[in-house]
Formats: sequence, C-alpha cells, structure tokens
Amino acid sequence: MKRIPTLLATLVLALGLASTDSVAANDARTPIHFGAIGWESGALTTEILRLIVEKGYGYPTDTLPGSTVSMEVALARNDLQVIAEEWAGRSPAWVRAEQAGQVFSLGDTVKNAEEGWWVPAYVVKGDPQRNLKPLAPDLRSVDDLKRYPQVFRDPESPDKGRFLNSPSGWTSETVNSQKLKAYGLDQQYVNFRSGSGAALDAEINSAIRRGQPVLFYYWSPTPLIGRHELIRLEEPPFDPDAWATLTDPRNTNPRGSRSLPAKLSIGVSAAFREQYPELVAAFAQVDLPIDRLNKALAHMNETRQPPRTAAQAFLRDNPAVWKAWVPAEVAAKVEAAL
Amino acid sequence: MSGGFPEALQFSFAERVNRLVDWLVLHYGDHLRSVSDHLLQLLVSLENLLRLMPWWLVLALVGLLAWHACRSLPRALGLTALLLLIGMLGLWDKLLQTLALVLVSTGLCVLVGVPLGVLLASKPLVRRVVMPVLDVMQTLPAFVYLIPVLMLFGLGKVPAVFATLIYALPPLVRLTELGMRQIDPSLLRAAGSLGANRWQRLRSIALPLALPSIMAGLNQSVMMALSMVVVASMIGARGLGEDVLAGIQTLNVGQGVEAGLAIVALAMVIDRISQAYGQRERA
Repeated sequence: MKRIPTLLATLVLALGLASTDSVAANDARTPIHFGAIGWESGALTTEILRLIVEKGYGYPTDTLPGSTVSMEVALARNDLQVIAEEWAGRSPAWVRAEQAGQVFSLGDTVKNAEEGWWVPAYVVKGDPQRNLKPLAPDLRSVDDLKRYPQVFRDPESPDKGRFLNSPSGWTSETVNSQKLKAYGLDQQYVNFRSGSGAALDAEINSAIRRGQPVLFYYWSPTPLIGRHELIRLEEPPFDPDAWATLTDPRNTNPRGSRSLPAKLSIGVSAAFREQYPELVAAFAQVDLPIDRLNKALAHMNETRQPPRTAAQAFLRDNPAVWKAWVPAEVAAKVEAAL
Repeated sequence: MSGGFPEALQFSFAERVNRLVDWLVLHYGDHLRSVSDHLLQLLVSLENLLRLMPWWLVLALVGLLAWHACRSLPRALGLTALLLLIGMLGLWDKLLQTLALVLVSTGLCVLVGVPLGVLLASKPLVRRVVMPVLDVMQTLPAFVYLIPVLMLFGLGKVPAVFATLIYALPPLVRLTELGMRQIDPSLLRAAGSLGANRWQRLRSIALPLALPSIMAGLNQSVMMALSMVVVASMIGARGLGEDVLAGIQTLNVGQGVEAGLAIVALAMVIDRISQAYGQRERA
C-alpha cells in the first residue's frame, strides 16, 4: 500500500521537473528581476521600465517583493537587478553598497522631485463648498506655524500642535526633527512619527476626507500631491551648510533650509551594468516630467488601476516623453505592443 | 494572470469595501475620534503616572510585586535586574510607554475576554458563532483592519490598543471557555441544591476552579500583546517597537537587537509574575 503514494509523488515530481525543463528550453535567458516597489510612483516606474525592456528589447522580466532595505541588500548581492525608483544617497545601506561598487544609480528620472511640509489648501483658504472656514488664513511659511499650534492640536498632548513626521528610521525623519528645532517649533509642536508610510497616508487621507486641519511631511511624485489641493509651506532657500546641520541628528543648533532637491534614479546591480549595456544606456536617459507623473499617479490611485495598466496608458498618452530614451527601432517595437 | 480559473466565476468586493470605509470616515469619522480621545486620556494619564514615578520606585514596586508573587528573593532580584538592564540600555522611557500600552490592552482583554469565555462555555450556539470569529482575529493580517481603524480613530495609541486587543483576546477567551467546561458539573449541581443562585455558583465555584486556566490564558494574552508592540509602532504608537522598527529600516541590526531583547525582558518579567500568581491560586 505504501508504494502508491511514493509512486504518485515521483510522478508529480517528474512532471514538475519536465515542465520546468520545457519552460527553460523556451526561454534560455533568466529573467531580469525588478524590485516590486510598494509605493505608487515606484510601482508605476517599475512597470514602465518593464514594458520597455520586454516589448522593446525582448528580455523577460520578473518582480520580487521586499521592503526598501531588503531590496537594496538584494540588489547589492545581484538577487535583484533593477530598482526602478531609488532615492539615491538617502539610505545608509545604499550608500555603503554604492561605495563598494556593488550597485550603481543611473540617470535622474524625476527632476524637481520635492519634499517638504504641507497643509491642505482648505486650512488656509477655506472651502465654501464643504462649508469649511479658513482656520489659518495667514499661514504661508513655516514661521507662521508658531501662531497656529491650536489648529493642528495633538489629542495626546492637547496644549501642543501635532506635526506628522515620516516614520522613524527614514532619513527624512532626522531632517524634519532638526527642522522643528531650527524653526523654533519644537516646544509648540509634537514631533509625531507616523510609524509607516501606510499609516501616514491613512491619517492624511482621513483628515482631508473629514475636512480637518493636518500638518504633515510629504514628498512628490506621489498620488496624494496629484490628487488633492495642498499648500507647501515656504522654507528658507536651500543652503548646503544649513542642510549639513539638518542631516546630523547630534547637531544641537540646526539652521533652517529647504531640503536638498531629491535625486531619483534607477538602481542597478554591478552584474546588470556589465551584462546589459544597451539597457543601461536607455535607463540613463529616463526622464519623467513630474506634473504628468503626479497626474498619472492620482488617476491610478483614484480608479485603483493596476500599475501595469497605468503604465500602458502612460506610454500611450505620452509617446514624446519615452521615445527620447530609446533608439527608434526599439521605440517602434514598444509602440506596436501597446 | 489568474491561471486557469474561469473568468466568469471571478468577482471582487474590494470596491464595495473601499466605498464603505470612505463613507464611514466621512459620516462617523469626527464622532469616533472624540470617542477615541477618551480612551486616549486613560492611556496618557497611566503613562504620565508611570513617568512621574522615579525610576527606582518603579523598580522597587516591580521587585516587591515579584517577591509577593514568587516568594523567592533571588527570583525577585533577577526580574528587577532585567528591568534595570533595559533602563541601562537607555530605553527606560520607551519601556514605560510600552508597559502602559500593554497594561491597558490586557486590562481591556480581561474585561471582554473572561465574560465572553464564560458565555461561550454555557451557550453552545454562541460558541459555534464566536469560534470562527476568534480564528479570524488571530489570522487576519493586522494591517488589513488597522488602516481602516486608523482612519476612523486616528493615528497613535488608540488603534494600537485595538490591534493588540484583537490579536491578544482569542487565547484568553479560548482558555477561559476551556477552564469553565472542564469543571465537574456535579459540583455545580451540588451547590445549586444547597441553594446557591447562578451568580453565586459562578463566583464561588466555577471561576475559582477555572482560574488556573484563565491565568494561563491571561499569560498568553500578555505575551501576544507584547509581540504586537512592533506592529503598534507601525501605526504611530511610541515605545520599544519604535526602536525595533527604526533598527530594521536603517539596517541598524544592533539597535534592533537591543530593543528586541528589551521587549523579551519585559515579557519575561510580566510572564514570571503572572505565572507565579496563577500557580499560587492553583495550590
């Protein structure tokens, strides 16, 4: 009696092996592994690049999920080959791998990507349609925040305002904490770490939905920026010396400055860079206009489009944008496949 | 993409759920926030109370409690030393925040869990309905319900308490129910024939007999509450989990290990004390 299960198992195993064999025969090359980025702009960029690589160059691709840090580590070990949106120089893991020559950042994919402190526009201007009064009519810059801690009241310590910082562990969390000190707001505002990107998004969206005031750190390209009318608070112009005091958490006397303009690029592993020079050349040209990207992201988020569909729509709608990245015959192949 | 499954049979209720959450936020969001503010006051005042106490007083109280529970001086000293160690790692303040969170959620667990367990033991129909719900509570990935809860109740400690409650409640309910069902029915009948009413039977016979099992459940609840600390910090609750999270996100393995071991140390202290009380009741 015992033989039958063994026989069955062998049969299943043989079938399994045979099927992998045939797949391997069909497709001799191993696919290029992209990091499956969870946030929207990263997901959209990933799919745009995958479409171009698959349709234009004919290489198979695949995605593997993971957190940012684990993807960066995987890239350094060449378990992943491409991370489509890398905020270069922001993560210690990335900086170390880049210095060791294990990973490379290509191009400057989204120019004018920005980060800063935002409030919904109705906090300043009001919204007659929703019957919302302007609660902070004179709020323009970070200095004006001193007058309005009560507007952004923190339920956990009601005598202070709440500033929604990014999750602890992000580089921006250090910068924002230092900025609070630099702008003289640390006594009036609670430096509230949101714990995770999902929690930050949920809190902001809930506040906007209910028409409540909220003060938060955010960045673009993101669906949130494309979707809602938000006001970015003015900060002193960028100054490299002041920026150095903001990025060092031990500096007790930070000075205010806008954040360093973020540089988004495509991260690739050293092996990928050697193996696919034509893709490296194309990736280095990638340039996504931020306003169109924000709009595409907002649409994708609102209609809950899968990133793949959104990427196809983006490529269809903006041929002039991506045709500049690749040679003409590749562009023709991609266009035919859309 | 969907393999071989026929498309005609596929459906998705995701959009309906999205609309429901949206509608809830729009209509009940402000109302629920004020409810959550009350719970928050309780948490914050407990936390402030703990923070007002000097560190040596907290240690002394824990030592005293441990001694009272275990009646063994070395054990009490050992447990106090564990807490001292957390303080020496520079995590004292975060320890207190985590402790406040765990105490409040465990308190709520007892308030809800024990009566529910008693009810399940006596009403088979309720039991059949509630048991699958308990399964859902234990296995549904926390973020699935956390994000809507967060949108309704705000960021921070309150959704953290909810998450912990949902995750840590089932073992207490299950073990309370088990303890109640294992009581010899003839004992209850005997008490009934001596004129004890239902409440007296429950309070003087059933609960004391089921107590070891209930204490084991409580112990499991506390442990699970502590293991939720990291998830809690992902929705903005401060405490030891925050350091674990920051450690993971920056690849600072050392920081993560320090904070992680602090959680383990706190778990051991609470576990040994509550176990000792449970065993004393048994003896």
